[in-house]
Amino acid sequence: MPVGGRKQAPVVIEEEMAVVASTISGRTSELPAMWNRMLEPRVLRDYGSGGFARLAALQGGESLEWCYGCGKCVPVCPVDLVGEYGPRKLHRKVQSGVDLLADDDLWLCTTCMNCLRVCPKQVDMIKVMPAARGAAVGAGEVPTELQDVFEKTFRYGNCLGENPRRRHAWTRGAGVPVRVLADQPGPVDVLFYVEDYWSYHPRGQQAAQAFARVLTALGVDFAILGAEEKTVGDSQRLAGEAGLFEALMEDVAATLGRYDFRRIVTPDPHGFNALVKEYPKHGHRYEVLHYTQLLAPLVEQMPFAASLERTVTFHDPCYLGRHNGEYDAPRTLLEAIPGIRLVEMGRCRENGYCCGGGGGGMWLDGFTSNHTAERLSERRVREAAETGADILAVCCPYEVSRFEDAAKSTGNDHLQVRDIVELLDEAMRGHGEG
Amino acid sequence: MTIANQAAPAVAVVGGGPAGLAAARTAADLGSPVVLIERLGFLGGMPIIENYAAITPHLEPAEVAMGRMITAVESHPLVEVVLDTEVTSCEGEAGAFTLTLEGGAGGSRKISAGAVVVATGFQHFDPGRETQMYGYYEFPDVIALQDLEAMLKDHHVVRPSNGESPARVCFVQCVGSRDRQIGNEYCSKVCCGIASKEAMEVRQMLPDCEVFIFYIDMRMYGYWENQIYWPAQEQHHVQYVKGVISEVLPKGDRLLVRGEDTTMGRPMEVLMDLVVLSVGMEPSPGTRKMASVLGIEQNKYGFVEAVQPPLDTVSTSRVGVFAAGAALGPADLEDSVSTGAAAASRAVALLRSPVGA
Repeated sequence: MPVGGRKQAPVVIEEEMAVVASTISGRTSELPAMWNRMLEPRVLRDYGSGGFARLAALQGGESLEWCYGCGKCVPVCPVDLVGEYGPRKLHRKVQSGVDLLADDDLWLCTTCMNCLRVCPKQVDMIKVMPAARGAAVGAGEVPTELQDVFEKTFRYGNCLGENPRRRHAWTRGAGVPVRVLADQPGPVDVLFYVEDYWSYHPRGQQAAQAFARVLTALGVDFAILGAEEKTVGDSQRLAGEAGLFEALMEDVAATLGRYDFRRIVTPDPHGFNALVKEYPKHGHRYEVLHYTQLLAPLVEQMPFAASLERTVTFHDPCYLGRHNGEYDAPRTLLEAIPGIRLVEMGRCRENGYCCGGGGGGMWLDGFTSNHTAERLSERRVREAAETGADILAVCCPYEVSRFEDAAKSTGNDHLQVRDIVELLDEAMRGHGEG
Repeated sequence: MTIANQAAPAVAVVGGGPAGLAAARTAADLGSPVVLIERLGFLGGMPIIENYAAITPHLEPAEVAMGRMITAVESHPLVEVVLDTEVTSCEGEAGAFTLTLEGGAGGSRKISAGAVVVATGFQHFDPGRETQMYGYYEFPDVIALQDLEAMLKDHHVVRPSNGESPARVCFVQCVGSRDRQIGNEYCSKVCCGIASKEAMEVRQMLPDCEVFIFYIDMRMYGYWENQIYWPAQEQHHVQYVKGVISEVLPKGDRLLVRGEDTTMGRPMEVLMDLVVLSVGMEPSPGTRKMASVLGIEQNKYGFVEAVQPPLDTVSTSRVGVFAAGAALGPADLEDSVSTGAAAASRAVALLRSPVGA
């Protein structure tokens, strides 16, 4: 703008977040600095391809270079739908000299595996991400909120930083006796591996209590580890803390070695994933079931006392479905419940949309929100609401809290988020919680 | 031996490259006398003329592979090879053509032939005709695929401007192909594979040299995908970048290549030491000339027109005249030897058919 007849360069102030007020409506809106950077000089300058070599030096990091840019991953990437991150773009960024280890994109992948499902070149983000994140963790380049969870997990054996002695506090409200192996040793059929969110989160505790009642009603011989239980820590591993995961694994395996059980049953698809895929690599082999896999063959024996008369849609957990191929057990359970009408969302089973919680995403909501237009869980809840369902059924402990928050924030309060086992328990007891 | 001694009518094969050699060998193996006419003083065609290092996709040295074909033809009792000679006219009809040959030791002479196979091939697109500003004749370090082939054959890949090893090499795809302004609307079919093959060879010869391929879309058809493209990317770490270069500018003693990074949706300017233009195929002067001499139809690009495509790839508009290899359009070696053999088989079948086919 000319001042005193002379052209003056404008003064540029760049902030990460600005609040802009409309002169017309008076409404204010937030303007992230991302939009500023879009207007920066855009020409890509001299670059090299050393980024791939650095990744290839990390075990599991080599396949990012294999991308040939077909773009199949972009429409199926749950993060790309709400932001700028995408696996194909990541390849090009690294090719053009971006240091992945120092880039925010490193933390946006939820390891949901939908890109790998469609990738013709088998670019494996499920291996690339932990490898690159591990190197970033080693260099101390970790988002604060994730570092906090690593520290809590290290110190307390659970991601929530809760008191380990209160691991089985939930059993007091179960209404049925729950055997703790340390107090009542001896052989047991099912070792119920409760994991963190069913142990500590209030909504998770309700699901754990429901599961204990269902097992009791079915006459299943089960027990828990109680205060001796530590998280399997698979999401910590995928978020880059392989060392922490391995230390936990040694603790968990030592604890399991002290007891006589036939099989492990867990509600957490993440812990399940590690127990069936990672533990055997280190010589720890168990018969492991997700809780839906334990219950699905027992539906004929379930003493249902009520018809629920609800329309339900079901969200496939990435780590039960895509990662481990189990799509039917949860549906078998839902369809067995009298009165329930199951309606599927457009994206279900193999191409189910991610809730945003995997691969450390559970603990990066603040970080991720700087890079996405909305949370993945919000996108998913909208999709669930569009089916006309009044219940969004889940069977991963991460999801109840994520989706309940999302249902509120998207104005879909009418949509109840219930774990499948809560619905089973309700139908078997003939009445709801309480 | 000479064809004059033979009772059966001969098959005249024009052009001694891969397609012509395959045609001559096939017709002779089927028991037909063959006269193979080559304009130059040696056989082998483009792989020999242009000093190809190794042939795609299996990287056998070109001289070895072509040498095998040449020996098989030269040593065949039913083949007469006529070098340094061109065909200047063709009279008569199928079963009884008379060809006038000019050149060689014999000066002008006439031969009779029952059928003719045209295998006169292609020439590399001249990058000076490119409408993009690549500066092929302006900058010594801008070269074409065949220029790099010659350097690879010598095991001496350097920047022509200063004789130093390049630290960064890029290939620019589709030069002279797929372009309405230039008039070559077709894909030249082999350049993606050749560029990738050369890129791998450069990476092997100069392990510290970074190699980029800028492309519109990679056309690695059939097995070339996993024989060339994937190993180039996964094992030799050739960097494929979608978005082709639109101009090359001098910057210091290096070259600035400018294009769009279509993946990121941004303009791109990067420095290179050596720019290799992946030139396409055009009909050779011999193909244009022979089409005229033989009176066979050409398509709008000057290649010989196969008149009954797609299931008959070798018949031309003149009965008794067949075409093979890159005279028919862009072709790789596999296509060339296949159509060479097909044309020879059709020619022999025509001569032996009781109804004159």
